[in-house]
Amino acid sequence: MSTKAGRWEFVFAWMISMYVYRYTHHSQVGKGARLISMLHINKLTKNYGNFTAVNQLTLHIPEGDLFGFVGPNGAGKTTTIRIVCGLLRATSGTVRIGNTAAPVGSNKMKRQIGYVPDFFGVYDNLKVREYMDLYGSMYRMNSRDIAKLTDDLLELVNLVDKKEVYVDTLSRGMKQRLCVARALLHNPKLLILDEPNSGLDPRARVEMKELLKNLHSMGKTIVISSHILSELSEMCNSIGIMNRGHLITAGRIEDIMQQLTGGKRIHIRVISDKETAVRTLREQAGVVVESVLENEIIISNNGTDEQISELIGRLIQNQVILTDFYREEGSLESLFMQLTGGNAQ
Amino acid sequence: MKLRLNPIVKKDLQVTARSMRLSWGLFAYEAVLTMIFLLALALIEMANDSIYSDGNIYSSFIYLFPSLAAAQICIIGLIVPIITASSISGEKERQTFDIMLTTCMSPFSIVFGKVVSAVLRILFFVVAGMPVMALAFVVGGLGWINLFYFVLAVILFSVFSGSIGILCSSFCRKSITAVVLSFVFYFIIFFLTFLPALIRSLLDVYSAGESLLFLLFNPIVFFEEFFLLIMRGESAFGGEGFMFYRDDVGFVTYYLSQGKVWIFTSAICILGMSILFMLVAAWKVNPMNTYSYKRSKKKKGL
Repeated sequence: MSTKAGRWEFVFAWMISMYVYRYTHHSQVGKGARLISMLHINKLTKNYGNFTAVNQLTLHIPEGDLFGFVGPNGAGKTTTIRIVCGLLRATSGTVRIGNTAAPVGSNKMKRQIGYVPDFFGVYDNLKVREYMDLYGSMYRMNSRDIAKLTDDLLELVNLVDKKEVYVDTLSRGMKQRLCVARALLHNPKLLILDEPNSGLDPRARVEMKELLKNLHSMGKTIVISSHILSELSEMCNSIGIMNRGHLITAGRIEDIMQQLTGGKRIHIRVISDKETAVRTLREQAGVVVESVLENEIIISNNGTDEQISELIGRLIQNQVILTDFYREEGSLESLFMQLTGGNAQ
Repeated sequence: MKLRLNPIVKKDLQVTARSMRLSWGLFAYEAVLTMIFLLALALIEMANDSIYSDGNIYSSFIYLFPSLAAAQICIIGLIVPIITASSISGEKERQTFDIMLTTCMSPFSIVFGKVVSAVLRILFFVVAGMPVMALAFVVGGLGWINLFYFVLAVILFSVFSGSIGILCSSFCRKSITAVVLSFVFYFIIFFLTFLPALIRSLLDVYSAGESLLFLLFNPIVFFEEFFLLIMRGESAFGGEGFMFYRDDVGFVTYYLSQGKVWIFTSAICILGMSILFMLVAAWKVNPMNTYSYKRSKKKKGL
């Protein structure tokens, strides 16, 4: 009797321990993955014959990021996006969205992604509401949910008054916003936009930018591929720069700027005694005079703030009259050109 | 379980119903059918006046039905490939196809939806042509059940033509190329399935032999058999006067080449061929299909 009871106790204890293990292990995986990335691309390669469009691309985009995908034409951005969306088969590598372990192109994966292509194709004789209804049905949503979400999304993209208007009569900017609303209809975790601003007028671009910022503030993870670097730098909090199929760099914009350009170059404006200023600067350790213009000297310096203030003091001591002294802010354009070198278009 | 209408069918019908093209198309279709009806009537009357006529015009009216039906089949055979051949390539041209593929629609449901919408559009024409067809039935002495069988046969033929169109559409980027290719493909199917029986008949005057079985896949022979059975209760393979005289054939061929059995078997064969074409089309448009992936690797020496 006692042996039997002991055996049952053992089985019971084993079951509890398995349950506790599974529960804790599962929770850790879930939390960990959320912390790591929403889009996880690992060693992705796509070959077209001897041409490698994407080469061993590894990229992690955290949840809630507004990520800008930058690169010259033929860099492999669109190929990467098409692979992620299941429109192209990768030669090798893996793609994972959130904690979904489903293969690319599967329905489970498709439900996680909202895709906005660079060109908006329309059907003649289809109204905005019907357009949303069509794509909602394609995600097997029921008509009541589609109708409710359509109203909400059209309000979000500021097209609520165009609900009964034919899609082909909308302006290009409106069509693009409608396309974003369509891509959000099934509530995807990840929104991917391929050149969303191409061909839009300045006003439509601003509206699109505001819409994307709005979505970002709502916590959506967004990936945008674009050539308009100034807009990306205003919108995105992280970027990835691709060139010839390689990911050159990726991360927070500030970090990349700081790492590559920011804080290195200093502009000094003088109104007299430029020669003395140049001589004084050249005498300082760690200072390289890059160029001397009419009233401006550009130097590069990796020193600390204390060393820079000491440098200013030395210039003033030598009777140099300074009118301006500032660190050069790195721009996404200069960063892009620097990283892509002569390969940029 | 709730039945769901394929979203592509719903959208295509919505868009088509609003277009003026459909109205003009129906008008032209009715006009052509009416003209053929009047022409057939005139020919029957002229034939009745000839010295070879037995003087009973009513027995000749039976030919109104095959004349109109053949015209209808020809028009459908012309329209359906145009509709479906431009469907997938049209989506590609509009750049809406990629969006479609990113949704939960499987490539087969996209292809199937396109074929079904083409068949439903054709049914508009068939229904619109009913009054003219009914005239032929009133004066032609054929029953309503025959009209029902005819509609079924037309649906089958539409599915077949539609599947050829969609297959070509999946292989072509441009709609016009897909349309041309589908007519070439049409011709190839008709000719290739006809060829063995023709060669055998030329070699052996008395029998087409087992090569008759190839004709099961030929829609022209299917309709020939269909009309003969409806109008005369005869089979194209039955007597010596027919082109493909059935003699010296095995049990299977003999059994199959008998009126109703032939029609039923041929319908299954044509439907099977249509499903095969749709599956190939779905496979072709699937960006994840392994064949195109392996082929591109092999071709490019990877």
